[in-house]
Amino acid sequence: MEIFLPSVYNYSFYCITMNAGQLDNTGRYANSDTAKIPVDVNLKLDSLPQDIRLRAIDRLKIGSLRHSKSRMARMLLMFALIGPGILVMIADNDAGGVITYAQTGSIFGIGFFIPFMVLMIPVAYIVQEMTIRLAAVTRRGHAEMIWKRYGSFWGAFSLIDLLIANSLTLVTEFIGITFGMSIFGIKPIYAVIIGITFVLAITLTLRYHNWERASLVVAAFNIIFIPLVFFAHPNWLLVASSFGNWHVPSGFSTLFIYVLLANLGTTIAPWMLFFQQSSEVDKGTVPEDIKAGRRDTFIGACIMASVAIAILILTGTVVFNAHAVDATTVGYNISFILATISQKIGALPMKLFALGLIDAGLIATIAITASTSWAVGEAFGWPKSINLSFLTGRKFYIPGIASMFIAAIMVLIPDVPLGFLNLTVQVIASIFMPAAMLFLLLLVNDKEIMGIHVNGRIQNAAAVIIMGVLILMSGLYGISLVFPNMV
Amino acid sequence: MEKLNKKYYDFIKTEDDWNKFVKKEKLLEYGIKPVRRAKIKGWAKFAFIVIRIYIAIMIVLIVLGFLHVL
Repeated sequence: MEIFLPSVYNYSFYCITMNAGQLDNTGRYANSDTAKIPVDVNLKLDSLPQDIRLRAIDRLKIGSLRHSKSRMARMLLMFALIGPGILVMIADNDAGGVITYAQTGSIFGIGFFIPFMVLMIPVAYIVQEMTIRLAAVTRRGHAEMIWKRYGSFWGAFSLIDLLIANSLTLVTEFIGITFGMSIFGIKPIYAVIIGITFVLAITLTLRYHNWERASLVVAAFNIIFIPLVFFAHPNWLLVASSFGNWHVPSGFSTLFIYVLLANLGTTIAPWMLFFQQSSEVDKGTVPEDIKAGRRDTFIGACIMASVAIAILILTGTVVFNAHAVDATTVGYNISFILATISQKIGALPMKLFALGLIDAGLIATIAITASTSWAVGEAFGWPKSINLSFLTGRKFYIPGIASMFIAAIMVLIPDVPLGFLNLTVQVIASIFMPAAMLFLLLLVNDKEIMGIHVNGRIQNAAAVIIMGVLILMSGLYGISLVFPNMV
Repeated sequence: MEKLNKKYYDFIKTEDDWNKFVKKEKLLEYGIKPVRRAKIKGWAKFAFIVIRIYIAIMIVLIVLGFLHVL
């Protein structure tokens, strides 16, 4: 019996030859006399398309660990099931995020923003958890679900917004990479070449499982900011008292609202929804893995907040009250912050900070490039998996790679208005975020597609509150960026 | 093609085991079960109206803002 998978798998090699006794296209068994027929698993695997074959191998390994009762197997299983949640959260601490946290600590010191970042753990977790369930149940990415469930207008709207926002966010990543490398005397052109080569090597040469593991190793360097705190010898009593005495520093000034919104905007970004859902699909997450996916996302959210708090404590101790020419984000720019760190606690912590900034830019570039590729593949119904080789899946890889090249070139253009570009990306995100959130909430409440995995009342209440605040803040942020005197 | 070590699939012995694995992992379901266009009604209809208004207001403000900045 032959089954030709429609739409995405309309290639001749995606024609799967199935033997009697296998699933037919309604998911039923064609022949029930198969209970005792021995199977050659390798032969079965060889009959699958490249991406599905590699996913099947990963899932067989996970299945094997599930069937083992040993403690070691359970640990290995836990390790095998982590990935998208930690990746998305650490990639969220991107170059722009690191700079935002550093500026926040420099301007406001130790206080309001440390408990605020702890509050961001449940916020980020609740939003991203919904993407795990959507992926596990639908086996489709966010872009594809919006396109197919809500039509081509909203599908195209989401895709175009995502592509523009991702491309411009990549510009900020390359700014972080080139700036970080300039501390080590590397010229921007070489910094860009090193960055591109690094990302291409990981994205194009590794299949999903290895890509995920390599990305996790790159992401692990993000933790470099945590030991940096100890160079600063912070006043831990002051850090602890920020929780007991949580208050808005010097009232709701325009600067405070601007920084608050920037921190919120950097914690939850539209690309994160698309990235994690597609990544879970490519990993092969099924409903049985939802619990593990939740654990993965929670760990990721804790790491994200820990790194952000470490940067806040470091800069809040060392750079706060350092008398910049202008006590705003302009005065406390990243050059000033690094120079102050170097002057007050030495060149080593400053260089480690620069390394962290480079790493933040690289991990975010890997994630955002993949997010772009997945979203375009989903929208146009192309084969879409990091398990595909470049030759087989070039349509899938090219959009992400192209956006990375455009971003890298923009950074190298002399006198390109980088501030204006950064402003544009934040504005686009502020328009896009409410729509992306709405689709997420609609999809996870859709009984027809989610079945028993729809949001419960408490989940909905929490999600609606978070989304309401995010929509309000996104709107205010967008307006404040273009009309700074209005907020 | 590289062969998978038997220790990774020792729980699959028969055709039936393989079929169950394929079904549980939804390996071949992709693209088979179509996703239908949703009927927008109730609170979702209201939410779509709000989001359209939000987007329209934001676009107008942003165009004005960028004209001001430029």
